[in-house]
Amino acid sequence: MTPAAKRILIVDDDRDFVEAIASFLEASGFTVRKAHTGSDAVKLARMERPDLILMDIMMGERTEGFFTIREMRRQEDLKGVPIFVLSALGTQMPDFGNPPEWAGLAHDEFLSKPVDMVQLVEKIRQRIGQPT
Amino acid sequence: MGEADAPETVVVIDDDYAMRLSCCKILSKMGVRVEAFEDGTRGLAGIGRLKPGLIVVDLKMPGISGIEVTSRVHEIDPQITIVVITGYATIDTAVEAMKCGAYDFLPKPFSPDELRLIVNRGLERRRLSLESQRCEIERAMLKRRFVTFVSHQLRTPLVAIHQYLDVLKHLGDTGEVAAKREEWLDRCLKRTEELQSLIADWLTLARVEGGALMKERIKVDLRQLLPGILKTYEEMAAGEGVSLHAALSEEPLCVGGDWNCLTVLFDNLITNGIKYNRPGGTVTVSGCLSGGEVVVTVADTGIGVPDKYRPFLFDEFFRIKDDGAKKTTGTGLGLHIAKRIVSEMSGSLDFESQPGAGSTFRVRLPAWHEADSAKPGSSE
Ligand SMILES: Nc1ncnc2c1ncn2[C@@H]1O[C@H](COP(=O)(O)OP(=O)(O)O)[C@@H](O)[C@H]1O
Ligand SMILES: [Mg+2]
Repeated sequence: MTPAAKRILIVDDDRDFVEAIASFLEASGFTVRKAHTGSDAVKLARMERPDLILMDIMMGERTEGFFTIREMRRQEDLKGVPIFVLSALGTQMPDFGNPPEWAGLAHDEFLSKPVDMVQLVEKIRQRIGQPT
Repeated sequence: MGEADAPETVVVIDDDYAMRLSCCKILSKMGVRVEAFEDGTRGLAGIGRLKPGLIVVDLKMPGISGIEVTSRVHEIDPQITIVVITGYATIDTAVEAMKCGAYDFLPKPFSPDELRLIVNRGLERRRLSLESQRCEIERAMLKRRFVTFVSHQLRTPLVAIHQYLDVLKHLGDTGEVAAKREEWLDRCLKRTEELQSLIADWLTLARVEGGALMKERIKVDLRQLLPGILKTYEEMAAGEGVSLHAALSEEPLCVGGDWNCLTVLFDNLITNGIKYNRPGGTVTVSGCLSGGEVVVTVADTGIGVPDKYRPFLFDEFFRIKDDGAKKTTGTGLGLHIAKRIVSEMSGSLDFESQPGAGSTFRVRLPAWHEADSAKPGSSE
């Protein structure tokens, strides 16, 4: 019996970005779920408890990702689910060089956009493994 | 009021026991939390502790007067709404209380309905002002993060395009991805268009701000300009199930301005009318001469603008992103640019709107005077 494919939840308000990343992950053998807002993401995550979450930060002109991660970290039923941040916010952003929000952000990995997908899959496998 | 969160608290201050009792009875039936106090000193202490949304205070009390309570309450929290109770003899004092910041007054004797009405209105006003204060703060944050925001807006489509191309490059020949190839390439093109319009809008804005676009003032007849613009957008409108109409006066509608600028102005208003509309809706462009001004209105039968967003509509990058708002693409710069152009031409731009029923944007521009044509640089 082969174990079920690992399930990944991807959260980003840009549907094109989600579509591209999801296709690559699916081609790499993962099952992918998609959410486009923070609140949908929390709902979906609590319902299905994915093996790993990919989270965007700037959604709808706000840093909604920060609040979404905080909310997820508060949920008992999501304890131990790794969260990777995928964001175009880097140190070159004057206001985000060291935003206070980063401090409370218990993310497991930060990957900048555009995402190197080969590297992304590698990091995911390192973290949660993958059935062959 | 405030059913979503904790009930609002209302404080009643009156030296008359019967009055306190009946006010409390009426108000608690409305579902608000009420506390009553018999004089100003106790009342003020209670207000500090309870942080009410609204207070009802009698003007004539022994000890601290209602007027004094009013001004002291606003030192504690300027957002608290104050309603004063007056006898008929003290209407003048009521007016004075209003000057001190009271929201409204209630002459004795009053009916339960009158009290309910005024308290409801007061709480509603407070809710609106808190909300617009919140919007204000958000706007300020947005401004502060301008550079971040701009680069984010530029990057988002770029990242999407990059990601599609990257997947196509890696997995282009696999069945799944090959099937999506066409669709993805179309999306990439769409996203480059988005980038183009963003950059075009910024450039227009920068040029309008630099005054460059307005240097060349010539006589432009809007009766010639507007039908052409409407034609350009017929296809877009049809795609949204919206029909376009023109109601232009018989006489020429001449203004002194720049053809391109005026085109940008009406482009923005008309595309908004189409975008924020609903299937089966209309956009009507009317124009006439009135009191030395050319007045053009662009009226739609669309989703309208909720009152609370009124103050922000012309701000750069402002877009309504309510849960109920229509998902449209845009830069949030169109109206800002439109306003700039109109004010460069010494005109005005305003709007009326009914949420759910439609909006009418009104442009007023000084009419062209033949004397203007004597100026150098102007031509027919
Ligand atoms: N005719 C209209 N009806 C309803 N809402 C409108 C209308 N025009 C503009 N708006 C609102 O104002 C916002 C700003 O408009 P604009 O500056 O033209 O930017 P954009 O159209 O690119 O979003 C829009 O996002 C929309 O929410
Ligand atoms: Mg617009």
